[in-house]
Amino acid sequence: MNTPDSELDKHLQALFGGLDTSADFEARLMARLRAESQTDAAARATRVRQERARYRRAVSELQGWRRSMLRLLTLDTLGIALLLAVAVVTARPHFSWNVTDIWRQYGLYIAGLLSILIGAVPLLGMWAEQARRPMRLL
Amino acid sequence: MELVREERRDEAIALLLPAFRRKVFGLAYSFLRDREAAEDVTQEVFIKIWRALPRFDGRASMSTWIYTIARNASLSALRARRPQSSLSDPEVMEAVEAIDPVPSADVIVDRAAVLRLVDQLPAKQRQVIMLFYMEAQSHEEVATLLAMPIGTVKTLLHRARARLSAAAGKMGETA
Repeated sequence: MNTPDSELDKHLQALFGGLDTSADFEARLMARLRAESQTDAAARATRVRQERARYRRAVSELQGWRRSMLRLLTLDTLGIALLLAVAVVTARPHFSWNVTDIWRQYGLYIAGLLSILIGAVPLLGMWAEQARRPMRLL
Repeated sequence: MELVREERRDEAIALLLPAFRRKVFGLAYSFLRDREAAEDVTQEVFIKIWRALPRFDGRASMSTWIYTIARNASLSALRARRPQSSLSDPEVMEAVEAIDPVPSADVIVDRAAVLRLVDQLPAKQRQVIMLFYMEAQSHEEVATLLAMPIGTVKTLLHRARARLSAAAGKMGETA
């Protein structure tokens, strides 16, 4: 075989110039992509279902009366107790005996009112949790 | 990118296919030297692209991104494959004949000989030669496909052509 450069070029061009996939390549690929797409959609739907279930579990946990009370009361009680302690310590030297008398007379009502206020905060918090609409995932 | 953002990946792939199908196939073929394996890799590459399209951030150009996926997929396929096939395998010869359906007997013999010579080239030179003639003799395209500097492509091409010419000359003398 005596092959000059131009002849070599011609052969190489003929060998590799027309290199291409088979005729049904695109059809096969699109069929695979459709199958992938369906699998993908099914996997996504499963993920959404799992996410929704997780969300519902989280909400029901939040709505659990005792858990909510404990969670919210702990924060509220700590804050209010701290504020009350600071207020009492600051105001104590200025209390007259009359104020103490008033406290003795109406202390029960004041304590009751404070309890209602303290109790109302977690109740309001729970109401806000329940009123919030579930987040749309899709 | 608009199509990807709008979750219309199938349409995006349908647009990318005509532009990149042949190049990706050629790249895979230059690594694997097996038409069927190269087609399988090309399919895998486009499925990978389809999956990864939503994550494509446009930092690199689309072609660079696609060729990187294609090179990695081809190398993985090459590593996974046990026996090394050859360009001069009967199925490759059938593929060559399929490109030019009615060549004369002499032409088939010449092409088969050239194919065997290409097969004997070092891997990089062989890849450059194949892609150069596949890509309408564009150095730039070959450089992009193989992620090589153009200078390197030119050097490899020059060496490959010199080897082929010398080998073809020797074959001519012995014939």
